[in-house]
Amino acid sequence: MNNFFEIKNATFKVSGSEKVKNVSFSIKNEGDIVCLLGPSGIGKTTILRSIAGLEKISQGEIILKEKTLSSEKTHIEPEDRKIALSFQENSLFPHYTIEKNIKLSSRNSNRDQININELIKILNLENILNKFPHQISAGEAQRASLARSLNSNPDLLLLDEPLSNVDQSFKEEIQVKLKQILKKLKITTIIVTHDSYEAFYLGDKCGVILDKELKQFDDPYNVYHFPNSEKVVKFLNRGVLIPAKVTSPKSLENEDLGVITGNFVNPVEIGTNVKLLLQPEDLQHDDKSNLKFDVIDIKFRGTSFIYTLKTSSENLLPVFVHSHHVHQHEINDKFGIRKPIHIEHIVCF
Amino acid sequence: MRINTWYISSFLISIIVVIPILTVFSSFFEDTSNYFEILKETFFIEYIFNSLTLLIGVMFLTFILGVGSAYIVSFYEFPGSNFFKWALILSFAVPPYIYAYSLFAFFENYGTAFTILKFLFGDGNYNQHIPKFSGMFGLILSISFSLFAYVYILARSSFLYQSQNLIELGKNLGFSKFKCFYSIILPAARPAIVAGLSLVAMETLAEFGAVDFFSVNTLTTGIYNAWIAFDDLAFANRISFFLLLFIFILFLTENLSRKKARYHLESKGGFKKKEKTKIYGLKAYYAFSFCFILFFLSFLFPLSQMLYWTIKFPENLYDLNITDLLLNTLYLVFLSSLVLIFFALISNYGNRVSNKKILNVLSTLSISGYAIPGVILAIAFITFIAWFDENIIKTLGFLSIKKIFIGSVLGLVIVYFIRFYSLAFNGIKSGYEKMNISVDESAYLLGYSKTKTFLNIHIPYLRNSLLFVIILVSLEIVRELPITLILRPFNFETFATTAYISASEDLLEAAAVPSLCLIIIASFFILLTSKYILRERSE
Repeated sequence: MNNFFEIKNATFKVSGSEKVKNVSFSIKNEGDIVCLLGPSGIGKTTILRSIAGLEKISQGEIILKEKTLSSEKTHIEPEDRKIALSFQENSLFPHYTIEKNIKLSSRNSNRDQININELIKILNLENILNKFPHQISAGEAQRASLARSLNSNPDLLLLDEPLSNVDQSFKEEIQVKLKQILKKLKITTIIVTHDSYEAFYLGDKCGVILDKELKQFDDPYNVYHFPNSEKVVKFLNRGVLIPAKVTSPKSLENEDLGVITGNFVNPVEIGTNVKLLLQPEDLQHDDKSNLKFDVIDIKFRGTSFIYTLKTSSENLLPVFVHSHHVHQHEINDKFGIRKPIHIEHIVCF
Repeated sequence: MRINTWYISSFLISIIVVIPILTVFSSFFEDTSNYFEILKETFFIEYIFNSLTLLIGVMFLTFILGVGSAYIVSFYEFPGSNFFKWALILSFAVPPYIYAYSLFAFFENYGTAFTILKFLFGDGNYNQHIPKFSGMFGLILSISFSLFAYVYILARSSFLYQSQNLIELGKNLGFSKFKCFYSIILPAARPAIVAGLSLVAMETLAEFGAVDFFSVNTLTTGIYNAWIAFDDLAFANRISFFLLLFIFILFLTENLSRKKARYHLESKGGFKKKEKTKIYGLKAYYAFSFCFILFFLSFLFPLSQMLYWTIKFPENLYDLNITDLLLNTLYLVFLSSLVLIFFALISNYGNRVSNKKILNVLSTLSISGYAIPGVILAIAFITFIAWFDENIIKTLGFLSIKKIFIGSVLGLVIVYFIRFYSLAFNGIKSGYEKMNISVDESAYLLGYSKTKTFLNIHIPYLRNSLLFVIILVSLEIVRELPITLILRPFNFETFATTAYISASEDLLEAAAVPSLCLIIIASFFILLTSKYILRERSE
């Protein structure tokens, strides 16, 4: 079966300068959601604009429903693509009310159409329908823009940082509702974000763009637990790399932590010196353990604490502890780590 | 393909407007008649000297009047400040030539001033004590009082949009009010003031009616004489080249002196409305007096003079067919506005969707038509049609087309189009500049074609800008003199031409009625636009 959407070896440029090169990924099923992650200015928006037809591509191919939309020789105009793009900045029509802005977008579709009133309710837009774009907040404008895009019944929906201006308190609720709508209506969506949590929650697949390349494209779980390069690890910032030596097909040894057992994600030759990815949930706290390190930082994350420990060889280790743990530790306290250390999947480079 | 259609349309419109402008420049290298040699020996230096004196005088006075009044009404609240805010722009309704008639008539021997003195103090030899505002001084006053509103409007708008934070920062640093004005407010408004002064400069150098009335020999009258007396268009164009050079050097110097300074900072925060300082007592009296005297001198004085004459010599009112004049004026206004709006809209949209550099350059060139005096454009047009008729049409064996274009409403509308294209183009452009390009992109992504986006999204959005441009163009056409004078059909008069003809025949009293009508119509247009001209961000 053919893919619903596909990008083949495409290079994306803005004003002649190359932003992202040789990008290839596909969306197999209609209704799947893909999230593209990457730091600001890396070219995520350029990719969306090119898919929408607002920019031309210099190399490769963009295919939707088996039809080539963009290639070196082909460029279908944006209005003929049935692709909706919700911009990060306010792009509502300034001279129309929010209601008219949303209703302007209605387009015929074979797919189940969303009830516009339901959409307005879900996105909490009832109170601003009669207002003009300049009279509402950035977050409200973003939600209105989202409603307009959803109401246009696109074959492919592109969302550029859709919730970046939405209040934190409201963000999670909108994320849940957005995912429900997209799944209910089977709207295939590509979301660009720099928020990895948002990407992991919304995406069926996640892509990480770094250094002008799509470094990894995989399930969110795999991107998080099995990052395929040191750069992806650094970008996600969810662990540290510590030196270790592979001692057997199922173990390695670190100067500070001793023997660590587990399953290697990729086989590594015995005796190889590697950098081991250590994520906060890999080590477990144990007050009775003899393996102790100094606490140098404590991050309170609501449901958990993340303690940063300093080893004698100056390595910094993050450790996750549930916030209901019987007691808290202070800076400079000694903090015990349970032995033996076992990591379910060992990722090393 | 669709982009190409817009691109080509836009390109063609710009080319049409640019042709006569390029003709002026290219004529610089053509042979001239003996007139040039004669003039070089006699009046040419005088033309340049007079033009420079006039330019410096007018720019100095408009700067003082425009910036001074803008500062007072923008920063202070005093009795009448809200009234003066819009009343001061009414001076636009009085073209320099009508101001010149009023000024001359009031101070001439046995003029209105004499009549007033006689009425108040009885018979006496007042003439020798009444100052005479004629020649260069009268000309500078006439043009300055008529045009200072350009500087006023732009400076006021800049003062209003200045960051309150900057001013508060000045106060915080312990600056006195004068130092705040001198070191913060004035430099920040510099681009706006320069833009206002540039408009004043172009209008001054292009002024024909008032210059002719006061018999001051400037480059503009030189151009007219070169054409009328010696039929030497190449020389007329050569003089206009000097005129444009003046303006160019002036603003290039200013631009270079700015270097890389920026005059506003992008701010993500909300706009903080400037708090006006309430002033009382003597300060309020001075502020009121300054604004009232300015309003009186620039608007009430010429209006009263014309009204006085109309009442004193009612026979002139009956002699004039006002309905015909009104219909003629409105006919020209309607046709020209329609043509200008239509083409300027297409050209702007073409520029926006195609985003081609060459089109940008061409558009910039095409809007420079405003800098070319109406006299030059009218003469260049006649010459071009004559040449085209002689060399192309007749060679091909067709009937002459001269009558279709020269001395016809069509010819008049074409030259108005070239002259005022920049007004229409820039007016619409400034509307477009407020619209983010993502609005267009959103429309395309909702399935709107380029044409549908233009009709359903842009036109409704630009509605206010279009209305503003229509009224602004109408105002210019009502006041316009030299093009109408040279190109109008036989027996086709407007208020402006009737006033000019009467004045040039030394029948100033007869010029009063058409002048008064012109002032009233122009005031009406100004009042219609004042809402947009004086728009504040909070409104």
